[in-house]
Amino acid sequence: MLYSVAKLVPTVAQADAALDSRPPLLLPMLVVVPLATALLIAAAPAARARTIALLGTLVALVGALAAMLVFRWGEPGFQLACEFSWLSHLGINLSMAVDSVALMLVALTALLGPICVQASATAITDRVKTYYAWLLILQAAMTGVFIARDLVLFYICFEFTLVPMFILISLYGSTNRKKAAIKFFLYTFTGSVIALAGLVYVAWFNSHLSPAVINAVGAELWQTFPKLGKWTFDIATLEQAAQLMSGRQQAWVLLALLAGFAVKVPLFPVHTWLPLAHTEAPTAGSVILAGVLLKLGTYAIFRFCLPFCPVAVVEYAPLIGVLCVIGILYGGLICWVQTDVKKLVAYSSVAHLGFCILGLFALNHAGISGSILYMINHGLSTGALFLLIGMIYERYHTRSMKELGGLAARMPVWATFMVFFTMASVGLPGLNGFVSEFLCLLGAFQASTAWGSATGITAEGALDQGLWGSAGAAVPGATPGNLGPWFAAIAGIGMIVAAMYLLYMVGRIVWGPLVEPKGHDHAHDGDSAHSALPVDLCGREVGVLIPLAVLCIALGVYPKPALDALSEPVKSVVMTVNAARSTVEPSAMTTAAKEEAAQ
Amino acid sequence: MHDGAAGVTAAGAAASGPWYAMLIPILPLAGFVLCALCAVFRVRSKLPAWITVGLLAASFAVTAAMYSTVQGTQITTVFQWITWSWGSGPGQSFTANFAFYLDGLTCLWMLFVTGLATLIALYASEYMSHEAGAGYCRFFAAFCLFVFSMACLVMADNLVLLYLGWEGVGLCSYLLIGYFYKKPSAVAAAKKAFIVNRIGDLFLALGIMLCFVHFGTVEYKEMFAQAAVYTKAVSAGEIEKVPLVAQLIAVLLMIGAFGKSAQLPLYVWLPDAMEGPTPVSALIHAATMVTAGVFLIARTYPLFLISEYAMPTVAWVGALTALLAATIGMAQFDIKRIMAYSTVSQLGYMFAGLGVLTSVGAAAHVFTHAVFKAMLFLACGAVMHGFAGQLDLRKLSGVGSMPGWRIVNVAMLVGSLNLIGFPVITAGYWSKDTILGEAFANPSMQGVAWILLLTAGLTAYYTFRVYFRVFVGPQSYEPGEELHAQHDDKHQGHADHGHAHDQHAHGEKSGASHGTHDFHPHPPGWAINTVLVILTIAAFAAFWPIKGTSHPSHLGYIGQMMDASSAAYDPHHDAAMYQFAAHKPAPGEPRSHATFFGFDAHKAMMWVSGFVALIGMAIAYFLHYAGRTSATHSRADSWLPAAGPLANWAKHKWYVDEFYDFLIRKPLLVLAHLFHIIDQYLVDGIVDALGWLPKGIGRLIRPSQSGELHGYAFGMAGGLAVILLIVFLVTN
Amino acid sequence: MILSNPLLHTLAQSGFPQPMHSATLAHYLVVSAVMFILGLIGFLTRRNLIIMFLCTELMFQAAGIAFVAFGRFHLDFSGQTFVIFVLTVAAAEAAMALALVVLLFRRKETLDASEWKDLRG
Repeated sequence: MLYSVAKLVPTVAQADAALDSRPPLLLPMLVVVPLATALLIAAAPAARARTIALLGTLVALVGALAAMLVFRWGEPGFQLACEFSWLSHLGINLSMAVDSVALMLVALTALLGPICVQASATAITDRVKTYYAWLLILQAAMTGVFIARDLVLFYICFEFTLVPMFILISLYGSTNRKKAAIKFFLYTFTGSVIALAGLVYVAWFNSHLSPAVINAVGAELWQTFPKLGKWTFDIATLEQAAQLMSGRQQAWVLLALLAGFAVKVPLFPVHTWLPLAHTEAPTAGSVILAGVLLKLGTYAIFRFCLPFCPVAVVEYAPLIGVLCVIGILYGGLICWVQTDVKKLVAYSSVAHLGFCILGLFALNHAGISGSILYMINHGLSTGALFLLIGMIYERYHTRSMKELGGLAARMPVWATFMVFFTMASVGLPGLNGFVSEFLCLLGAFQASTAWGSATGITAEGALDQGLWGSAGAAVPGATPGNLGPWFAAIAGIGMIVAAMYLLYMVGRIVWGPLVEPKGHDHAHDGDSAHSALPVDLCGREVGVLIPLAVLCIALGVYPKPALDALSEPVKSVVMTVNAARSTVEPSAMTTAAKEEAAQ
Repeated sequence: MHDGAAGVTAAGAAASGPWYAMLIPILPLAGFVLCALCAVFRVRSKLPAWITVGLLAASFAVTAAMYSTVQGTQITTVFQWITWSWGSGPGQSFTANFAFYLDGLTCLWMLFVTGLATLIALYASEYMSHEAGAGYCRFFAAFCLFVFSMACLVMADNLVLLYLGWEGVGLCSYLLIGYFYKKPSAVAAAKKAFIVNRIGDLFLALGIMLCFVHFGTVEYKEMFAQAAVYTKAVSAGEIEKVPLVAQLIAVLLMIGAFGKSAQLPLYVWLPDAMEGPTPVSALIHAATMVTAGVFLIARTYPLFLISEYAMPTVAWVGALTALLAATIGMAQFDIKRIMAYSTVSQLGYMFAGLGVLTSVGAAAHVFTHAVFKAMLFLACGAVMHGFAGQLDLRKLSGVGSMPGWRIVNVAMLVGSLNLIGFPVITAGYWSKDTILGEAFANPSMQGVAWILLLTAGLTAYYTFRVYFRVFVGPQSYEPGEELHAQHDDKHQGHADHGHAHDQHAHGEKSGASHGTHDFHPHPPGWAINTVLVILTIAAFAAFWPIKGTSHPSHLGYIGQMMDASSAAYDPHHDAAMYQFAAHKPAPGEPRSHATFFGFDAHKAMMWVSGFVALIGMAIAYFLHYAGRTSATHSRADSWLPAAGPLANWAKHKWYVDEFYDFLIRKPLLVLAHLFHIIDQYLVDGIVDALGWLPKGIGRLIRPSQSGELHGYAFGMAGGLAVILLIVFLVTN
Repeated sequence: MILSNPLLHTLAQSGFPQPMHSATLAHYLVVSAVMFILGLIGFLTRRNLIIMFLCTELMFQAAGIAFVAFGRFHLDFSGQTFVIFVLTVAAAEAAMALALVVLLFRRKETLDASEWKDLRG
């Protein structure tokens, strides 16, 4: 059976593109500039590599800022569209465009670029050219994922991120780097190949759609999506087509997509590559891994799973919610018994991204908005934590909490930043983490059909109805869904666990009596290894942390612009999902709708 | 809800408040920024203290101005925070602004928060003087941040902003408890405070979410307007008509309040929090932050009034906490800890007051308690400061009669009298008496009332135990441990510039070890004395807002403020609510007023509570003052064995910490280790096993690759032959 | 007469012209097959790298003959084009292969192919 889930909002304003006076090549530039810089680095002498890399990433950052400036934030749909024909006869084109979600993540990627370059200044002294070149290529690939509007382009970029990351880990990582790199590559690669199968299936399904089916849904769809029923990899078209799949087909596609994307996120129980990769990667690698690479998974779930298979998503949301909740508590508790501080932060990502996915699968406005903000915020705060740990590692060459302690006495500036970003990570209100975490939990809390209908009867009405819970009770803040308060409550325990392990970490390495590794003495240390670094942070290191700290405060104190900007894309996803919901769950229909149906 | 309506009527169009109200939090925030800058520029003078004192005093002045102008409920919006809409229907938007809800409750709380903060900052300028430099900046930065957070908490016009303040004060509490971060016990205490508070915070957060789901808003104004509908049902004696979920909101908020205000079962963090510097204990852990729970309940009183379960629970938990903490306080020797348990106990009183429906009494007690408990802590702090960290009441005696300690002595005495509720002349008497009277007047709360009365006696005993041992009697003292610690700190401070400081410090330390012999207690200087004098006057003056003028039946100005706030509630008019926990009278049936052995409860309590306090004081006099010749021993020592193991158990805090450790922390730790092992060997093991699969197959067919050229050649030829054979067979 | 030979009999039955007529496609193919089999046998039985290499050349050229013959048979020049292309490649490849053989010989002073087993699994 085919479900008629037509979304009549045109998503790509291609007609407007001609009238658009904005620079059309802005988005491709964001990919090309890092790539060109990488080539330049390969050609230039090693001593200049970092300078060139820094300039290149800064140019890309300026480009991203320019894109944010010309982007019309209030408008729905994708903007700054740009398309080059590539393998057109196969329906594959280099088409790029961004909505506010993608643009925010592009900006995050661009921001982390120069930060990573600067953070590597003293950490990477060997094979510098290779390092920076691959770092830049990685940035290009990640940007490509976010701006792609063609499935093949998306997938190529998505997979290509593995190569630079593999090289960064296996060449510049610590002791166990080979194993970590291989595991990272094979694990995520295996998953993505399955996801590819799912994506190709959607394309195949579209190419085999009979015109009659499409006409049954609505002939006007042809105008907006002329490629419906033809062989194409245009994401907007496939999004429409995929919704015509039966519930069973959607379930399989969802499974395939999640196989790829959930590994990337990573969702419990497919997370085990992450701690290893994080621990072994060089600092900048960890920052990118936590900051952007994991977000490829969450972004892909938002971009593909939700709108492609809404029916299956509605059906399986509780299952995924359970996995998230397990991940939050399980990951959090594991953090608590780590001795390697980097591994602790790595496992914290498992817990944190559990919140993110939980919010996403709340399938309501608060949850999804919170989840997208979570992607940004986690990138900022966890990225910063990895930077801070990297700074310690450069000085002491250990990450073991048994060998380090009370560093506040030695490095007050570092300690200040450490406490700050820990608090951001704990989700202290006023800093960025809170807004997203609260909204994710609120989304999960609201999303339950058990609350009753969401028709917005006042308290007065509820009183007349008698007890809460029966149909028609006053629950204006509830949304349909299958999660509900218990998911939020149990996931909320994760907030306590987060405080436990993060304060344990801070209590261990920041506070307490000073402990430094044996044989380590700054005063007499004259060898070249650390002569470049002062006892406390140097200007370059502070400069790396300041932008992140400023953004943490800004997003915590004034998240409104971001929330407003996310409104449109989230609204369209929620609409798609709710339309699907009414077809699968008649019980989710509002009382008013039921009455209408009865008449 | 006639009076409550004063706060609520404005629902549709609450007048916008004066713009300058936003200065109340902004000034401390500016102080935070300036102190942080001081740290950046390595200021080594007392500049941060003066910045703090000045800005907090300005903040107090603005609060006073606000109090004199604000009528009813007004809202001042600063900017939109977590606010956005995705549709036009109810529940299609979320509104949590940086906006301030100005009513009587806000004024009352902010007056004593900013006022006390100013005084305590002044006190700290001297108390913390040996930390001058980075530590000084850090202290005052956190101090300012605390006042900012507290202002957000109190002035918030929605629950989410309240939550910001709620966690903000938690953070500052964490930073300040852990101020002496080199001490592992301080770090552990800070961590414990934060985590235990987080447990409460989770429930508060869930309560906020439930609020949003049920009412579609987190703004008080809207919330109260909607709750008013339920209140009508309750007034009509139909509490069962209120949806269960609406009643649950109050329960969740209540648990949040228990966390922050150190009530059972979440009180364990507060005594440990005394690891922080004493000004911090006075401000955060006695006067202001810990009353946040009381504030939360008072602020959301309309929600509690519609909850059949929350109110009695609040009363009982408050009473039991009061009793338990008092019993522990009786058996402690550390005077700061005694004060801490006393705080827990008095907070229990406040909760009980809220629970027995005298929000006015609770608020009055919060107010008087803030003043006299801050004073007690500051006096104890002066002793601690003067005797190098000595806090053991067995090692100090007759401090009050030593030269230079008179002001401290007077402050301590006045504070103690207030704490025990010495009849008539102290403000503490009147506030405590209101709660007790109301409890006895409530037919369903007799148990609570008797527990509170018993606690009043215990309070008098342990309070004067401290006073009689430390401040009067024969002069004797031993300096505390900080003698060495201070030297250590100083040298570390110098040594940050140079190298090889460890050696240097060691050398000095051994040189300073004779310190015990020529130790002289140094009496407090002008700043500490000034603050104590002001507070002593204030403690008496607190009598005036409670009993003075204008509003005789409702505890004076405080009653007036509470009546013009969300906590407004007049039990005398609302029969049904008054006893919802007992039997529900038919609408219109006159309220039954319990009596105290036939006397009017309120009038009887004026005599009884005062009498009980005097008995407690007399016992303390008999056991700890009369005939005591040394600091270490008193008559109590010979009486102690009579109490059997009880005294020992009380001394060990009834083993609650150990119980929690055994019941919660240990199992969690085991679980964490278990998960870690599972993760490594099971979850990751499966992945590795999958990796072994292709490896195994490869190993199986590996011998076919001999590496010999001819082997491959024969293989190819053979393959060719097979293909040809197949072709041949197929074509034929 | 000649059909008494069973092989020729089979060939004749499957449409091949009689022998003693002008050379036909079958002749070329037979020659090609024989050459290929000789090369194959040589490759399989000899151990000397140079001989083995020559044998591969033999097989190569056998394939070339078949190409040309088919090209002529179908009147299509792509067969011959291909052979010329292959010859060019083979020349280059021969140079490479002999160079490799020389290098290998220098390593172990022997041309025995069984001495080289580095690719053993």
